[in-house]
Amino acid sequence: MSTIETLAAPVEPSPGPVAAYSGKKRGTLQASRLVAPGTLALILIVFSVLSPVIFTVGNLFGILGQVALLALAAIGLTLVVRAGGIDLSIGVALDLGALASAWLIHDGYRAWVAVAGGLLCALAVGAVNALLIVILRIPAFLATLSVWFAGTSVQQLLTGGGAPIYLSAPLVPDGFAVIGRGYFLGIDAAIVNAVSISLVVALLLGITRYGRKLTMAGEQPSAARISGLRTNALIASAYLLCAVIAGFAGVVLAARSNGYVPGSGQAYLMDAIGAVFIGATISRYGRVSVGGTLIGVVIFGLLDNGLNLIGLSFFWQDLARGLVLLSILLAAVVLGRAKSRPATGIFALLRTTKHQALTNTAKGNRK
Amino acid sequence: MSATLVPVDEAPAPGASRTKPRLAAWIGYAGITAVLLLFAFGSPFFLTASNIATILTQASVFGIAGVGLAIVIIAGGDDVLNGGIDLSTGAVAGLAGTVTALAAAAGTPGMVAVLYGVLVATAIGVVNGLSVTLGLRPLLATLATMGVAASLELVFSQNLKIAVTGGFFEAARGSVLFGIPLVAWLMALIGAAVWWVYGKTSWGVNSYAVGQNPTAAQVAGLDPRRYRLASYVLSSALAGLAGTLLVARLSAAVPGIGTQILLDIILVAYMSMIFSRRRLVSVVGTVLAAVFVAALDNGLTLLGVASQWVGAAKGLLILLVLASVTLRGRKNR
Repeated sequence: MSTIETLAAPVEPSPGPVAAYSGKKRGTLQASRLVAPGTLALILIVFSVLSPVIFTVGNLFGILGQVALLALAAIGLTLVVRAGGIDLSIGVALDLGALASAWLIHDGYRAWVAVAGGLLCALAVGAVNALLIVILRIPAFLATLSVWFAGTSVQQLLTGGGAPIYLSAPLVPDGFAVIGRGYFLGIDAAIVNAVSISLVVALLLGITRYGRKLTMAGEQPSAARISGLRTNALIASAYLLCAVIAGFAGVVLAARSNGYVPGSGQAYLMDAIGAVFIGATISRYGRVSVGGTLIGVVIFGLLDNGLNLIGLSFFWQDLARGLVLLSILLAAVVLGRAKSRPATGIFALLRTTKHQALTNTAKGNRK
Repeated sequence: MSATLVPVDEAPAPGASRTKPRLAAWIGYAGITAVLLLFAFGSPFFLTASNIATILTQASVFGIAGVGLAIVIIAGGDDVLNGGIDLSTGAVAGLAGTVTALAAAAGTPGMVAVLYGVLVATAIGVVNGLSVTLGLRPLLATLATMGVAASLELVFSQNLKIAVTGGFFEAARGSVLFGIPLVAWLMALIGAAVWWVYGKTSWGVNSYAVGQNPTAAQVAGLDPRRYRLASYVLSSALAGLAGTLLVARLSAAVPGIGTQILLDIILVAYMSMIFSRRRLVSVVGTVLAAVFVAALDNGLTLLGVASQWVGAAKGLLILLVLASVTLRGRKNR
């Protein structure tokens, strides 16, 4: 052990990556930024050749309706990743939102009580995350991983070992059913919900002061703290918002499926993470954004739908998803590396060693 | 960001921790002993030889796969978002188990079937390692290969349980050497070998260096990519071996089991931090943590605790471990 101990002795990180980081290149369009939209176009073309049905309006809206919940979860995650963290417990927030609202409807409460109850339960999950990460300073990945563990148990305990809750359709108040199954100007309510939340979050991140502060707290935590931002409050707010959005997705799920099935939320987690980081490739700075996330979500949706239409069994779907995810991210990294040496954008984010050097210096400044 | 402001990578002062271990360093051991004593007093069966053999058998799967993950964390750094993590380990174990069971069902001799499983696992490890050395975040690269491995498992097994029969698997399940199951010996052997490589050889020391401070290691002339590539290949190979052991224990390859064991493998690898005075992930600690987690599962069941609570207990456990680790880190700074 003694040899290892000497290795962890103080070593000053070289200033190289930090200097490189400040030299951002503007102007020329990086090829890597076209990877995600290019893949989307490619998937559309391939499947439209293979199956004539995919381009019908009905099918396209069907796809959007299917991915609406994933879009909501992924947008919540976008906020957290923008704030420099990660949230593996979005499935728990989603499930608890669905559980609470389905339960309240089942017990005969009004629609708004059920929605508020669902959002509050999800907010509690976010509060636990924020407490663990901001106050106890547990790394976000591990803190939210244990919330995932504990949350799964909580669901089983609340439902007597994992019994689903089914709502009989006539007893569900119209005000609740419309959230998931209604139509607004002929468009599926789930799509309307996802689009409106996306718009709100996109504006929040894009044009408000809060959005800029959050981005700064995520990308340069020590600089943000030194310049007087309350980074703890900002990061906590990202986890709370993420949980509430995921909880809203849960309420939509409960209204859409007329019930609640334990553990259904965690299925969205992996796709949401994939979509968020596919989205990061379209930004010059490797920043995650609502627009990019939605592109990632639609890629996954089209892929699933297209594979179904050409009749491949669902066993192959994860394979296709995994390969597409891997190839998009690899293409972005490789193209970006060839283009410009200074690691900016997605490359600073995705490239491990440089980014690690940066975060190490940033982490050290925190007392 | 002047050079004077740039401090150490959270390293505690080496001298202090070497001479006298702080009280906090023993909290981990004390907590574990307390839990085990509770079980021993709570149930008369907990300390019987057959129960201990059961615990060790259960621990071996997580222990072997956990050692692989520990290697990845050692060579990649324990910052999960940017450092080393292998999310595909559970799915790879499942895939290897399925391949082994299919090969055995097709009449391949047991040893060769296991070899096939481990080879497929290693192939996925090579994909992981190459993606990471190309510059992809390990979290994302292994997330993608996790989907690929889980899907391949479904494709191969058609989502059906594949039973394995034959002397080889029964021997792997049932053999006992000096009162301890064969698989536990295997776990101890792998643990000892990896501990020797990563604790005593220059390869291991360099791996720690690359993980703790890649910039410094690069300046010192090490190429982090070599060590990282090797760590992912090793991790997947060990996960594959663990998967075949799981098949031998269950007498069947059960589809979808990979995602279930992933969380336990991660728990075991990170729990090893409490066995290390310097809150590093360690190989020996991983094996001890695997035994403890298996004992926890077993003990809670013997005490009659409902299975729903076991997950909550594990979640709480990770939190306690991490909280103690963070507190210790703060004190040392």
